[in-house]
Amino acid sequence: MAKYPFIQEAKEWVKNEKISIEEILNDAVYERARIRAVERVEEAMEHGIINNAGCINQTDCMMEIFSYPIARMIVVSIESDFLLRRYALAEAKKAYENLKNENREIIEYIAKEFAIEIKNGTIHFSDYLKYAPTWDIRWKLVNRIMNKGYIQLSYREITRLLQEAIRKKIQNELFYMFSPPDVKKIFNEFIIKMKNKLALKGDKKFEGEASFKDFPPCIKNLISAVKSGINVPHVGRFTLVTFLNAIGMPLEEILKIFSNSPDFNEEKTRYQIEHITGRISGTIYSVPKCSTIRTWGLCEPDELCKKVNHPLFYYRIKRRKK
Amino acid sequence: MNFLKKKFYEYYLHPDIIFPPRFDRREFAFFFFGEDMMRRHISFKDKEKFIYYLKANVPKHVYYSSAYYRQPDAETMAKKQWMGADLIFDMDADHLPNANKMTYEEMLLKVKDEMIKLLDFLIEDFGFKKKDMALYFSGGRGYHCHVFDKHVIELGSQERREIVDYITARGLDFSHIIIEKNIYANYYTTSTLEIMPSQPGWRGRMARGIISFLREIKKMDREEAIKKLMKMEGIGKKIAVSIYDGLDEEKMRRIEEGKIDQMPSIRRLLKPLINELAVVLHSSTDEPVTADVKRLIRLPGSLHGKTGLKVTKIKLDRLDDFDPLRDAIVFGSDLTKIDIMKPFKIKMMEREFDLKKGKTKVPEYLAVFAIARGFGKIF
Repeated sequence: MAKYPFIQEAKEWVKNEKISIEEILNDAVYERARIRAVERVEEAMEHGIINNAGCINQTDCMMEIFSYPIARMIVVSIESDFLLRRYALAEAKKAYENLKNENREIIEYIAKEFAIEIKNGTIHFSDYLKYAPTWDIRWKLVNRIMNKGYIQLSYREITRLLQEAIRKKIQNELFYMFSPPDVKKIFNEFIIKMKNKLALKGDKKFEGEASFKDFPPCIKNLISAVKSGINVPHVGRFTLVTFLNAIGMPLEEILKIFSNSPDFNEEKTRYQIEHITGRISGTIYSVPKCSTIRTWGLCEPDELCKKVNHPLFYYRIKRRKK
Repeated sequence: MNFLKKKFYEYYLHPDIIFPPRFDRREFAFFFFGEDMMRRHISFKDKEKFIYYLKANVPKHVYYSSAYYRQPDAETMAKKQWMGADLIFDMDADHLPNANKMTYEEMLLKVKDEMIKLLDFLIEDFGFKKKDMALYFSGGRGYHCHVFDKHVIELGSQERREIVDYITARGLDFSHIIIEKNIYANYYTTSTLEIMPSQPGWRGRMARGIISFLREIKKMDREEAIKKLMKMEGIGKKIAVSIYDGLDEEKMRRIEEGKIDQMPSIRRLLKPLINELAVVLHSSTDEPVTADVKRLIRLPGSLHGKTGLKVTKIKLDRLDDFDPLRDAIVFGSDLTKIDIMKPFKIKMMEREFDLKKGKTKVPEYLAVFAIARGFGKIF
């Protein structure tokens, strides 16, 4: 439970302890839980993942469990969507690291929390689609062995899906959560410190105007498709985001381009862009090569295309000519 | 009342409508004769009222939403409150390459081929039960497949797009199809290439596709086989010759077991074969509507205003025998006077018609079709 404080069982346990929020926030007995809560938020912010705390005896474990709801209250009080998402991901990654070393029963137990049924190492494609990072070619449904609706996965892969399920769950909960006003007073110093850090972080500077007319045709097509509200396949969006990120376009600008898609969901799109561009995940996905773009059916080459094998080269050549 | 509307009225006196599940949660939309604006955001609480509406208004086209809503008649999406949507595959000749070069009958046949492929994916790979699927002739130039399975109802459009990518093989990674295995033996390593025909999913599908294609090639005589191979994208004379000449009994047997290490050029077959095995849903720019979670689809049992044919239910295992120009006809064969403006040939009710310009008499069903298509008028 201490390792997975987001599960229903842990919530019930906290409820049954019948300790009031005031006590948790003020009583000296819970000082350790509060310190650990700050640590959780800080680690999420700094490293994007939360480390395990040693849980040697029962009190340790208790403090660890209590630290989770406190950390959530702090995150909500900082009032930054960026931190909120980053924290949810950090908690999910922590769970992932732990789940990797668990036996199948535990993994299956956690999966059940998310109504995912594991049948002899297979899961239903609808559960898979909800949580798989399908912007990554290896995770595309088409590259999975699917039989009668069920997909064969390794337990490691299932664990990866659970990470996403956990992240979504925590993030959704936080979005709709209100924090008691006391939290702001008690953690005032820490909250201000975090707010300042977030303000400094911002987006990296966008060097020089991106000039759309220097973009290769595939990227131009994608932009005009997205802007005019045509549904663009996943791989197309992926290509576009990696490209715009590589030339240094700020996140907000990229988001703006997508805001015309028919199924635009700011929250979801922002998360995906942040993920692909490494802002919250740490892995920056690179721009696909021309040959890959071609197999995805997105390539409509012009003269210059014949001389390059990567969309970024195209852009650089065009820019250098000036 | 014009001829077409009168005929539609006769049909809608006793229509055989097939209501979708959760009928009262759907948005309905209509086109009426003489209007070119669609009337939307209409919903019905009970079926009798709906049938009465058809009779009273005689619509030219009838649509309903694949989605169901808390408030289907609200005017904005936000107010409608999306609850879920069926998964719908709209296989229309418009989406086929070269559609404009085909006759109506050729288009319908080609779309049927694609639909047969699609059904195999939906049943074998996605595991949809036949009771959760329904197949319809669209009344126009294609077929619709509806999936009501509870697993898909709540999927968002990104997830649905993954399903489309699956059946169209978009993003398929060949290293999942031809498996390179390293074998360690006696202090050195060799690698072998393998395909796995008995596996499910794309891996098995492609493997079986390769094997049956090679069997077919092997049966052909040399010149013909090489010609066929060279027609494929990315295959030149040298490779074509090496594939055909390499196919002796022993090799073929090994290939059927999946061992293809002696024929690495088989790799070249993957790309062209995909085009035959995957479903062709769209031309290069037009993304299929399947991923859309709030689209409108023709109501089964209604008439298509541009053909006069009925949106007709087809049993899943009877698609092969289905002939739209026989089975989707609702009008009778009383002779009707008509002035043909644009000559055309067509086979309807298993009779061949070759219509020349000018006045003539034809069965009523053909008169309706010709007028709806704009090929003729009543005089």
